[in-house]
Amino acid sequence: MKWAILSGIEGNLAAYEAVLKDLRRRQVTELYVLGDVVGLRGASENDNEAVIQRLRFPKTDELVPQVCVGWWEEQCFSLHGVSGMPEAPELMALAGGDGVKALWESVSRASVGWLRSQHFGFHELDCLLIHGSTAGYADELTPETPAIELCDRLIRADANHLFCGRSGRAFECWVTPSRLTSTVTTLDGPQAPKDQGKTPRRVVGVGSVGRIPGQATYTLYSPASNQLSFRTVNYSKAKGFAPV
Amino acid sequence: MKLAVMSCIHGNYEALNAVLSDIDAQKAEQIYCLGDLVGYGPDPNAVVEMIRSLAIPTCQGCWDEDIVEGLNACECSYPSQLAEQRGRIAHEWTNDVIHPEVREYLATLPMTLRKDNLCFVHGSPNSQHEYLLPSMDGFAVLERLLSADADVLFCGHTHVPYDRRLEDAALSVKVGAADNGEPLQQLQVPLKRIVNAGSVGEPRHGRPNATYVIYDTDTTQVTLREVPYDYHKTCEAIIEKGLPPIFAWRLARGVEFAERADDPSHVCER
Repeated sequence: MKWAILSGIEGNLAAYEAVLKDLRRRQVTELYVLGDVVGLRGASENDNEAVIQRLRFPKTDELVPQVCVGWWEEQCFSLHGVSGMPEAPELMALAGGDGVKALWESVSRASVGWLRSQHFGFHELDCLLIHGSTAGYADELTPETPAIELCDRLIRADANHLFCGRSGRAFECWVTPSRLTSTVTTLDGPQAPKDQGKTPRRVVGVGSVGRIPGQATYTLYSPASNQLSFRTVNYSKAKGFAPV
Repeated sequence: MKLAVMSCIHGNYEALNAVLSDIDAQKAEQIYCLGDLVGYGPDPNAVVEMIRSLAIPTCQGCWDEDIVEGLNACECSYPSQLAEQRGRIAHEWTNDVIHPEVREYLATLPMTLRKDNLCFVHGSPNSQHEYLLPSMDGFAVLERLLSADADVLFCGHTHVPYDRRLEDAALSVKVGAADNGEPLQQLQVPLKRIVNAGSVGEPRHGRPNATYVIYDTDTTQVTLREVPYDYHKTCEAIIEKGLPPIFAWRLARGVEFAERADDPSHVCER
C-alpha cells in the first residue's frame, strides 16, 4: 500500500498533469488531494474548471482521486453563498476585488456543487489527511508553528501522523510531548497525579503541486513501513517535465 | 487579595443571593463572573440586574450570546438531541421574557477578562462553547493556557468545579526523521493552572448546592466552595413559569440529565 498525497493544485492543470505522469512509475494505490484544487496563483492562465473536470473524470488507467476541500474551495463556497462568510473577507484581503471576480468567473456553480460534496478530511489508519487542521481550513502548520500548537493539532486530530497542505511546504516534523504532570482537585478532594507524556507524533506538510510555476511537490507515504518521501517534479507547459 | 469567581448562574436568583452572602462571609475583595447569566432558570432579569448593580466584571457566556445573536450554534452545543430540545424551549422562554435593556447589557459583555497573570473566560479562550473538562488531555489544556498568555485560566461552562495543576511540561519539535539532530523547538513550562468555577445556578456535581471558587492571589490557593440554598424556591418558580419540569427535577439533584458529549472539545464554527 502506497499513498500519494497532494495539495495546492490551485488551478494549475499543467502541474497536475506532470504529477499524474510521475505517479505512473510509483506504484501508488491511493491518491489523496488535500484541497486547494482551484485558486488564482498556480498559473498565469488558470484552468480551474479543467482541473475540476480532470479530478472528476480520471482516465481509465488512473487512480480515482479522493479530494477534500481547502482554503480556496471555502472561498468559492462563500462567493456562492453555500457556506462560510457571504462576503468572502479572506479572499478580499488576499486577492482584492479583481481576485474575487476572477475566482467567481473561473469556477462554475455546478463545479462549486461538486466541490461542496467533497470531504472535510480523511481519517485513515492512524493518519489524518486534511487541508489545514481540525482547528480550521485556514490553519497553516509549519515546523515553525509553536510547539504547543502543533501538539494540540495532533491531539485534536487523534492521529499519529497529521498530513496537511495549507502551508504549501514539504516538511516532516516530529512532536514529542515527553512530560507533563496533571493533578486535578474536585469537591471530593485531590486525585492522584497523572503523567500525560506521549510518544512522538508527526506533522507532515505535503507540498504544493501548482503554487510555484514549473515545480510541483507532493508526498509519497507507505503506511505499512511508515516510509515517507517527498517528490519534486519540474515541468513546463511547452517542454514537458522532468522529475528530479 | 481574595478573588471570588463564579459562573453559570442561569437565571437562578436564589442561588446567586446565597453565593453572594457566602462571598461576603469569605471576605473576598473582588468578584468575577464567567457568564451564562440567563437560560434554564426562572429569573434572568433579576440576576442580570443584580450583577449590574454590583458592577461585577463579567464575560459573555454561550447562553448570553444566544440571547443576543439568536440560536446559531450547531447541534454540538448540546450533548444529545433531548438536551437540545430542552435547550431550545429554555432559549425561547428566556428570549420572550428578557427586558430590552438586559439584552443590550448582555451584548456588551467581553469574551475574555484579564487581571495580571489571570485570564477569565466562559468556555475556553477559543470559544464560549468549548468544554474544558478535567479529563481533557493535559497538553491540549496547556495550549489553551499558553494561547491566553495566562498562568491561571478561570473557566466555567461544564458546571462542575475543579482545580487542575499542569506541572513540569516538556515538549520538543524536530524536523526530519524522529531520531535526527537537535530539536528545532523546545518548550518547558514549570506550572500552569486551570480553575473551573462550577455553576451557581445549575450545578451538575451530584448535589443541588451552588458552587464557585475563591482564589487568593498572594498564596495562589484555590478553594472550591459549595453553598447550600433553598433550591425548592427555584424549582417551584421553574414550574410556575412554565419552563420544562425536568429543569426543576435535575436542579434538585445537581445532575445534567443528558448523555455526555461525543466530542466535548469540538468548537462550533457557525
